[in-house]
Amino acid sequence: MYLVLLIGALGVLGPLVIVASSAFKLEEEIFAYPMTLIPREPVLSNFIQLESHFPLYIWNSVKVTTSIVVLQFVTATTGAYAFSKLTWKFRDTLFILYIASIMIPIQSIIIPQFIIVRNLGLYNTHAAVILVSAFTAFGVFLCRQFFLTIPESLLEAARIDGASEYRIFAQVVLPLSTPVVMTLIIFSFRYFWNDFFTPLIYLTSQSLKTLPLGMADFVDQYNIAYGPQMAAALISIIPVLVVFLIGQRYFVQGVVATGIKG
Amino acid sequence: MAKTKSAQHAFIVASFLLPSFIGFFVFVLLPVIATVGLSFTNYSGGRTLHLVGLTNYFSAIRSSAFLGSLWVTARFVVFSVAFQLVLAFIFAVMLNGRVFARTFLRGLYFLPSILSSIAIGLAFALILNPKQGPVNMFLQSLGIAKQPWLTSPKSALGTLIFVTVWQSFGYYMVLFLAGLQSINPNLYECAELDGAGLLRKLLSITIPMLTPTTFFCITTAIIKGFQVFDLVYIMTGGQQGGGPARSTTVLIYDIYRNAFSSFRMGYASAEATILLIVLLVITTVQYRSQKGWVSYEAT
Repeated sequence: MYLVLLIGALGVLGPLVIVASSAFKLEEEIFAYPMTLIPREPVLSNFIQLESHFPLYIWNSVKVTTSIVVLQFVTATTGAYAFSKLTWKFRDTLFILYIASIMIPIQSIIIPQFIIVRNLGLYNTHAAVILVSAFTAFGVFLCRQFFLTIPESLLEAARIDGASEYRIFAQVVLPLSTPVVMTLIIFSFRYFWNDFFTPLIYLTSQSLKTLPLGMADFVDQYNIAYGPQMAAALISIIPVLVVFLIGQRYFVQGVVATGIKG
Repeated sequence: MAKTKSAQHAFIVASFLLPSFIGFFVFVLLPVIATVGLSFTNYSGGRTLHLVGLTNYFSAIRSSAFLGSLWVTARFVVFSVAFQLVLAFIFAVMLNGRVFARTFLRGLYFLPSILSSIAIGLAFALILNPKQGPVNMFLQSLGIAKQPWLTSPKSALGTLIFVTVWQSFGYYMVLFLAGLQSINPNLYECAELDGAGLLRKLLSITIPMLTPTTFFCITTAIIKGFQVFDLVYIMTGGQQGGGPARSTTVLIYDIYRNAFSSFRMGYASAEATILLIVLLVITTVQYRSQKGWVSYEAT
């Protein structure tokens, strides 16, 4: 059994180590056989070659991802409050529609979405990518499940004291919801930091590209240089890796939460 | 008085609901309806469109490109789902007990599933480079011929499935681990008292008790399988890609190419509608059939 676990671990780790070490190698050494684990002569030239475009791609990714995470936090928590703590007609029907939309792949509705975005005059802007990603059915679901566990008596007490629903939301419910909000933020950060399809559809200008789009440009080039590719891959992996090392339990909670039946 | 109160309540509900509802309505619900609508037109991205009835659907079912992409998608989904879940189950069972470096290993297997598919695709393009990649150099040193991997129509899809399994099995492993932890340990103790061995416990307790998790994993993995795009794009040729002889052109990729390279948006909408129907049927069938084989008892 330990043998299987070890082979599995090496199999998973291997490609990641190759990315990290190749990022610091010259082209000849990348394909040297047998492969060297630690570069014989470590170089930074691969990163320097990325200098012309990638700082801008990274900045675009930071900007777009941060905006989406903030918007998702707002839409998911307010939506979840409406679906868990307020009563209104058609509430449960609409909730089922929200849940059903989790099953719909973005690629299957991209054509009309693209037409809508174009008609709003947002084609080839960051706003397009940010706005189409602002709604998260999963986030509403995740937060709603958590809000349901907050005792109604707590809210009633605040209502009797004359607190408005906005106040209860901001000062009673949200402060109690740190774990679920962390899960949501971490989940949407990693999803949109890596997201490729939506930016691919909506962004065409070189100056607007996000990091995954910038990396994909390597594919359409002749004379592929592997060194800079691995350097770019490493850059895109590191932020997610750091967040993972700090907040691994939130990742796991998020995955598990998707498995809980609504 | 009562009227102003209910108006006030409606205002409060609306203010909480609208932020998510606008996004849902404009960018999800409306596009779903419009996808079906556009599928009956010859829309090509311009200002005009004409109704063409079912023409797009008839073209699709007679098109070898469409049927080919369905076949590629079906094979991709079946094999990637099967391998991912079997591996995930095996590793979850192994890591559920007391094992050296358990937390570290769980984290490690899970890690690739949260990393960028684009970065991973680039990494495997290097590793599987047919001329001088480390895998082929290793094979050569063993006296085995170098393999074409992504560059041959025979092996491209299999290679894509391998990378997908490598990246994602850890995700399902985490789900299985959560399922395993919810099994009441008393069940195992009772079985042991009755003299049940490891295999017996696995077959009579672990697998039946995990059916809800398994059901959920299958549904999720199938839907994700239908959505594979990034790896196809990055590993088999970018904008003009889809693999040698269309061997990795999955349905989503065909839709993308038709809509955004050829601007056959009406036709691509028909393909997308067919995809939506297929997914609807699969989830409904699974949801119905789970009554037969999923046990939710005693959890």
